Amino acid sequence: MKRFRRLRLPKSSLLSRYLLIVVAALFFVPVIFPLSIMAYGFFTSMTVPKDPADYALYTKVTELEQMWHEEALLLQGRSAEEIDERLQELSRKYTRASMFWVDHEGKTRLLLEPVAPVPGASAASRPVIPERWTAVDAISFMKSTIGNDPLGIVAFIGDREEAGEGFMVMQVSRLVISSPTVEILNLWFILVLLVFFVGFAIVSWLFFIGIRKRLLRLQRAMTVTGPAGMPRPIPYGKPDEIGRLEEAFNTMVGELAESRRREAEEEELRKRLVADLSHDLRTPLTVIRSHVHHMTKENLTMQGRESLQLMDERISDLGTLIDNLLSYNLLHSGRITLELKRKDVLRLLRESAAAWYPLWEKEGFAVEIDLDAEPLYWMVDEVWFRRVLDNLYQNIIRHARSGRYVGISAGIRQERRVIMIADHGKGIGSRSEAKGAGLGLSIVDLLLKHMELEWNAESSDEGTVIIISHARQKI
Amino acid sequence: MSMTLLYIEDDREIGSIVSADLREREYNVRWLQSGEGAIEEAADCQLAILDVMLPGLDGFTVGQRLKRAYPALPILMLSARTSIDDKLQGLQFADDYLTKPFHPDELAARVEVLLRRAGASSTVPLALKHLLVYEGDNRVIRAGSGEEILLTGKQFQIFSYLLRHLGQIMTKEQIYEAVWGEPYMEGDKTLMVHIRHLREKIEEDPASPEIIETVRGIGYRVRA
Repeated sequence: MKRFRRLRLPKSSLLSRYLLIVVAALFFVPVIFPLSIMAYGFFTSMTVPKDPADYALYTKVTELEQMWHEEALLLQGRSAEEIDERLQELSRKYTRASMFWVDHEGKTRLLLEPVAPVPGASAASRPVIPERWTAVDAISFMKSTIGNDPLGIVAFIGDREEAGEGFMVMQVSRLVISSPTVEILNLWFILVLLVFFVGFAIVSWLFFIGIRKRLLRLQRAMTVTGPAGMPRPIPYGKPDEIGRLEEAFNTMVGELAESRRREAEEEELRKRLVADLSHDLRTPLTVIRSHVHHMTKENLTMQGRESLQLMDERISDLGTLIDNLLSYNLLHSGRITLELKRKDVLRLLRESAAAWYPLWEKEGFAVEIDLDAEPLYWMVDEVWFRRVLDNLYQNIIRHARSGRYVGISAGIRQERRVIMIADHGKGIGSRSEAKGAGLGLSIVDLLLKHMELEWNAESSDEGTVIIISHARQKI
Repeated sequence: MSMTLLYIEDDREIGSIVSADLREREYNVRWLQSGEGAIEEAADCQLAILDVMLPGLDGFTVGQRLKRAYPALPILMLSARTSIDDKLQGLQFADDYLTKPFHPDELAARVEVLLRRAGASSTVPLALKHLLVYEGDNRVIRAGSGEEILLTGKQFQIFSYLLRHLGQIMTKEQIYEAVWGEPYMEGDKTLMVHIRHLREKIEEDPASPEIIETVRGIGYRVRA
């Protein structure tokens, strides 16, 4: 059924339209040619003067030849006078022809010029007729008559060579035999054919130009996108193959737009969910923290105070964890766009360290900052780069507190300018007990990749150095 | 004279605890549970603390309206949301931003910094070690002798920039760009020279400064 449908050629199909052109061209030959001849006949009869009526005697060469041979047969055994007389009679009938005969001795006897010469026929082109014929003369005469003007019809008297009575010749101008009408008619046909083929070529060309135009329009529609980064639908054209392609394209654009809309909706939903979740988790934490703070004002034992202090720290950690968890969710879905700008990262490092310094001080950390170098420009998103640093510092506070050391420096490693953040903790390997560290580092990894930055950690039991460098920037 | 703070928080529990805590710190607190009537209430307030998620108009909208009505009013946003977009959106008009769960001490510290930056407390001299600083009048006085210390324009600008960010470490770039209004060039010694002269005037022992502290590798800080 499907195959059958495929074979059907609807009227609107491009293929059927092209077939129509070809079939029209084929039908054109048998229909248009006779028509054109009729039209030609009609017009020439109106405009061109007619040939004289006696031309009709000469149009059929075979009949002429037959008549001449019959006459030659009848003249067998006749006297020269009788032959002369007969030829003169014939000359009066065939007024446009010249005639002569040669006797058995090779002497030219009677030479009759046309009674009514053909207008336009040249006498000069006629072969010379000798008084006495030799074999050479005969051969050259015969040669000159073949295919030349005038046409020569030769017959042996008695219509047999053996009769030995000589031969008689009739010469007719070809202008009479092949009327110019025929040549003009040939020209007419050539012209008609030429017009026909040029017409066919033009129609085919227009047909394909039309297809090309529509295909180009489709291609433009596919490549040029609108403000939302989506191709625009195109107005429906003819209901043929390209029309169906356009329809399919419009359907596809519609589905794409719908899918984008759904994606945006899902993304919006996800963001709202994350925001609501964050809100719902943080609000009770805030309440707990406020109450913990409230309790610190009560009269408590030393142990009680320490417990409250720990609770407060854990609440703070939990807040960070929620932040990381939800940030990771958003980042991982690829929905956060980074605004990369050329920034001096050493400056960002200093500013970030300035914000963290009081906490390090409070925790009794030794802080070594060596960022006195030429500015180091990388393409980074300032907000997210700070987030990377925050996560790294957070990890040091949480998991490398025992080392009580933070070192922030700029240097050169493997021909690349790098920034290094060092601690004297027990190394990343020992952090397995500190759950949650992985998430912060996953965010660091995701963000740095987005900023085309590379990072690696050199860790031993004496501490860890995080080294960040630009993936493509060498000195 | 105590400061009046406008506090908008829909969560009753958090609202009551935070209001109580701020009152204990001798602030007058006007606590609203929604953004309705915020503009009228903020008329004689020195600072506004806004929660982002509010019933009806959200905190961002309320904050923007407040800022339009009172451009000089410092606004501190409190949010339980995480999205970084929130932070950027908030900071376009807000002066500071604090994420829940915050520590009440941190909130109080931020409020104090914002009030100082807004110059709300300029009538009260700031006592720093042996100095009394009248920010509103551009005057620095030696507390013991009552002698006025004369600072050049740039010296006072540097000092007052550090005072506006009391307790915070400010980098060389931040100070230079705030005072000179042009980008800092790495290696420029101008700021260092000015700070040396400033210290010679205000420190008792410029060799071991107590007021303007150098934080090695980062910048300078005036401790509260």
